[in-house]
Amino acid sequence: MQELAVEIQDLRYRYRGEKVPALKGIDLVINRGEFIVLMGASEAGKSTLVASLNGLIPHYHRGRMKGEVQVLGRNTKDFTVAQMAEIVGLVFQDFEAQLFSTNVELEVAFGPENFAVPREEIARRIDESLAYVGLEAFRHRSPSTLSGGQKQKLAIASVLAMHPQVLAMDEPTTDLDPISKYGIFQITDQLRKRDDITLIVVEHETEEVLHADRIALFDNGELVKVGPTRDILQDVDLLASHSVMPLGIPRFFKSMGFEKADLPLTVEEGLQAFQKAQWRISTEKYEALVAREQEALAHLQEPLIQCHGLTHTYPNGVQALKGIDLEIMKGDMVAIVGQNGSGKTTLAKHFNALLMPTEGEVLVHGEPTEKQGVFKIGQTVGYVFQNPDHQIFSETVFDEVSFSLRIRKMPEKEIKERVEEALVAVGLEGMEDADPFSMTKSGRQRVAVASVLAARPEVLILDEPTTGLDYSEQRGLMDMVRKLNEEGSTIIFVTHHMWVVAEYARRVYVIKDGRIFLQGTTREVFSHEDALKEAFLRPPHFVQFSNRLGKTLLTPEEMLSCMA
Amino acid sequence: METELYLDYNTVIHRLDPRTKLILFLYAFIGLVLYEHPLWMLPIAILILLQTALARAWINLWRLRYLLFLLTVWSLVLWNLFVAGDTPLFLFVSKESLLFSIARTMLVLLMIIAGVNLISTTRNEELVLGLIKFGLPYRVGFALSTSLRLVPTTADSLQTIAQAQRSRGLDLESGNVLERLRKWLPLLIPVFITTIRSTNIFGMALESKGFGARPDRTFYLQTEMHTIDWVLLILGGIITVTAVYLNILGYGSIPGLHRF
Repeated sequence: MQELAVEIQDLRYRYRGEKVPALKGIDLVINRGEFIVLMGASEAGKSTLVASLNGLIPHYHRGRMKGEVQVLGRNTKDFTVAQMAEIVGLVFQDFEAQLFSTNVELEVAFGPENFAVPREEIARRIDESLAYVGLEAFRHRSPSTLSGGQKQKLAIASVLAMHPQVLAMDEPTTDLDPISKYGIFQITDQLRKRDDITLIVVEHETEEVLHADRIALFDNGELVKVGPTRDILQDVDLLASHSVMPLGIPRFFKSMGFEKADLPLTVEEGLQAFQKAQWRISTEKYEALVAREQEALAHLQEPLIQCHGLTHTYPNGVQALKGIDLEIMKGDMVAIVGQNGSGKTTLAKHFNALLMPTEGEVLVHGEPTEKQGVFKIGQTVGYVFQNPDHQIFSETVFDEVSFSLRIRKMPEKEIKERVEEALVAVGLEGMEDADPFSMTKSGRQRVAVASVLAARPEVLILDEPTTGLDYSEQRGLMDMVRKLNEEGSTIIFVTHHMWVVAEYARRVYVIKDGRIFLQGTTREVFSHEDALKEAFLRPPHFVQFSNRLGKTLLTPEEMLSCMA
Repeated sequence: METELYLDYNTVIHRLDPRTKLILFLYAFIGLVLYEHPLWMLPIAILILLQTALARAWINLWRLRYLLFLLTVWSLVLWNLFVAGDTPLFLFVSKESLLFSIARTMLVLLMIIAGVNLISTTRNEELVLGLIKFGLPYRVGFALSTSLRLVPTTADSLQTIAQAQRSRGLDLESGNVLERLRKWLPLLIPVFITTIRSTNIFGMALESKGFGARPDRTFYLQTEMHTIDWVLLILGGIITVTAVYLNILGYGSIPGLHRF
C-alpha cells in the first residue's frame, strides 16, 4: 500500500486571460489518512489547488500548468477528471449548484451510477452514506426542500458514496450557521478516524480547524508555511498577516506576555492557563465597562423602525414570521442572527418594504411601510443583498453606483458628488471607471454597498455582508460599516459570523422559528450560551472562555482592559 | 420557493411506467388534434381530467390558473380571425368559427393539462429514463433533464434580483414599452451572469462525480411495465385508433367552416 496520498511538485498555474499566475510553484506532500486544512487570503490559490487534485486543472479549466500532481500514484495529466473522480471526491462551497437530482436518494446514487456500480451495491451505499451524515429520514425528499446545512451534508454523502480515498472540500461551511458548521466538522472528524481516507479542506474559520493534523497557509499563489495545527495556530502574527483570523484565546495570552509555544488554544486550555497564572478580572473595571455601554445606548431614543405583531405567511402557506415586536433606534448598530431558514432575511426585507406584513405592521419613521412602498422607503432604508452579483449590471463602477440616483432624476453634478462620496466611504476612491465584473468578490461587495450608500439612506441593511470574504476583507468591510454608524447611520446586519457580532454589533436579535428568541445588548445575548445553542448558535471561543470566567467579555482587548 | 411541479404522492398514475405515461400523452395529442368539433373531443377530455383526478394534480392546475385563464380568453377570441363560417353571429365571429375556437382552446388547455399530469407524476429522472429506454442517448437525456432543472433555479434568482433592483428604486411598471424593455437590463444581466457562474460550478461538480466515466452506466431508478401499464396502453391504443378511423370516415368536422 502506498504511504503518500498526494504529491505536488512545483505546481504552477495561470488561468487563461489572467496576467498573474494563481499558483506559483507549490510543493506539498500529503500522507495517507491525514487531515490537512488549507487556509489563507482570498485569491491565494487554495481553490485552484483543490481543483488540480482531481484533474479539473488542467482538463476542465483553460490555462497553463507546469509541474506535477500525483494522487495515489495517478498523475492528473494522464487521467481524465472522470477517472480521477474514482479516487478523489470533491465537495464545493456552493451547495445549490452541485445537486442535480430531484430526490435525495437519487442524488447519492448519481456518482456510483456513473461508475457502473451494480444496483444492489448502490442501494447499500445510499443507506451507508445517508446514515453517515444523518440524513436517513430525508431519503425521499427533494433536495430543494432541505436547509442549507442539510444540502451540504447531502453533497458530502453523494461524494462519499463513490468511496473516494481522498476527499477534498472547498469551503464547505461558508454559508452555514454555527451549529450546522459544527455538524459538518463533526462529519469530517468522524471521517478522519476512518484511517483510509485523506481529508483536504479549505476553511476560513479558525475555530473549526482545531482537529486537523496540519495547516497549510497560502498567500498570493504561494505556500507560506505548512506545519502541525498547533504550531500554526499559535503563530498569531503570521496568521493575521496572511488574512486568517487568529483565535481570540491565544491572542489574549500573547498580549499577557506568554511565549508562543505556551499559548493555549482551546477554551479548556485557556481556563487552565488563566487559573495557573492566578489572574483575576476586576469586577469594578467590568462593571464600569458595562455601565459605559449602557449609557451610550441610553442616548439612542428615537425609534426609526418599529414592528408590531409582524407576521408573514408566504403564498405557499409557510409562516416565516410569527408575531415579531421590535423597535430599532436611530443610530444603533443591530445584528440579526439565527439558524439557516429561521426567518431573519424575511424580517430584514420587511424593513424596506420589499415584503409586506400579512398581519401586524411595520413602521418606518412612524408611518406604515404599506403606505410608503419600496420606492419611497428606498431613500430612507438601503438594502445590500447578500450576493453582489444579484445587482451589478453596469460596465463601470460609476454607472453602477449612480443607478438609483439616475432613476430619481438627480442633477448630473450632484450625482457626481454623491458617487464620489460613496466610493470614498467604501474605500474605492478614484475607481469610477473600473469594470465591476472584473473586481474580486470583496471589491464587488464594496461596489454594491456604495451603490446603496449613494442614495444617502438613514438606515443601511446588510444581508450576510462578510460571507465569502477573508478575514482582512471582513474586517475592512465591517470597519467601514462601523464608521458609517459613528457618522450617524443606523446599521442592521444579518450574519452567521459570530465574531463579527461580538466585535461590531451593539444590540442583537436572535430569531428562531419566526419569533424573537433572545434580544439585548451583544454582551447580554452572548452571556446566554445555553439558550443560544437552542437557536443553533454559539458565541466565539473567546466569549465562551470569558463566560466560564464569570464575565462576558467580547474581545481580548476588552478582557485586557478589565484585568485586575 | 416552490417552483417544482412534481408532486411526491404515490397514486396509481405515479406508479405507472414513464414510458406508459409518455405514450398516453402522445395518444391524447393524436386523439385531440384530429377533430374540429368540440363535442367529439369530449370523451378524451374526460379521460385526461380523470387522469388528473387520479394523480391528485389539481393543485398544479390551480397554480397555473392565471396562465390557463389568459390562454382561454386569448385563444377563444383569436381563432375566430383565422377561420370563417356560413352562419355569422357578430363582428368577425360566426357559429362555425366559434365552435372551432372552442375546439382549439380545448386542444391547448387539454394538452397543457395532460403535460401537467405527466410532470406532476413523473420525476425528472424517470422521464429521462423513459426517453432513454425509447432509444435517446444518455447524454442527450441528461442535458434535457438539466435544462428542465435550470428553469426553477433561474426563476428563483430572477426573483431575488428583481427584489435587489427594486430596493434600489427600479420601477418596472411605469413608462412606455421601450422604456420598460430598457428597465429589464438591470435584471437580465445579473441573471445571465449568475446563471453562467452556477452552470460553471455545475459542470465541475458533474465531472467530479465521474459523469461519462464508463461507456455503460447503472440506473438506480428502475422502471418496469406492469399489467396495468399494458392494459392502459392497449385501451388507449384502441381509443386512439377508433378516433383516427372515425375521423377518416369524416366525423367530427364542422360543416360550413372555411379555413384560410
